[in-house]
Amino acid sequence: MEGFVYAVTIGLALTMLLSFFRLLAGPTVWDRLSGLGLLGTKTIVLLLLLGRLFGREDIFVDITLSYALISFIGSLALAKYFEGKEAK
Amino acid sequence: MTALAYALLAAGFFFIFSGAVGILRLPDFYTRLHAMGKCDTLGVALMVLGLALLEGATLNGLKILLIIVFIGLANPTATHALGRAAYRSGVVPWGVRPEEEP
Repeated sequence: MEGFVYAVTIGLALTMLLSFFRLLAGPTVWDRLSGLGLLGTKTIVLLLLLGRLFGREDIFVDITLSYALISFIGSLALAKYFEGKEAK
Repeated sequence: MTALAYALLAAGFFFIFSGAVGILRLPDFYTRLHAMGKCDTLGVALMVLGLALLEGATLNGLKILLIIVFIGLANPTATHALGRAAYRSGVVPWGVRPEEEP
């Protein structure tokens, strides 16, 4: 039954490619930022699934918590930085 | 318990996939933000809850539940900040002609 976790991990990585396309091709900077936020939240689940597959949940959970904090603060800071600019 | 965890993983993957399709296919920034905010928060919370059920009642399972609480606080906040910053920068919503906007 561990094959199901493998299948979900591969499907999640392929779904990350879809939002990476929005990060590359977004017409405005806000589309690129939303694609970046989507990548960040998917990476949280991907890290937990990889920890499950490698059998090292104890270290991957800590990595995931710190990654979630850094991703949230980074997206807030980028939104504040671009606020009020006529960004294309 | 394992079957319930796998069902939660599959449901969360469905929501995340529909959010990714929405961010590719919807017509303007605000509709894409709508797809991103709701689908992504619910999908990630369901998948992480499934992983916490697979982990069991240990310290790591408690930390994974903490990640769910953090996601539920942080993801709507980030989405709201993005939408407000884009509105203040003058991104016009889809369907509104530029001379009509306030």
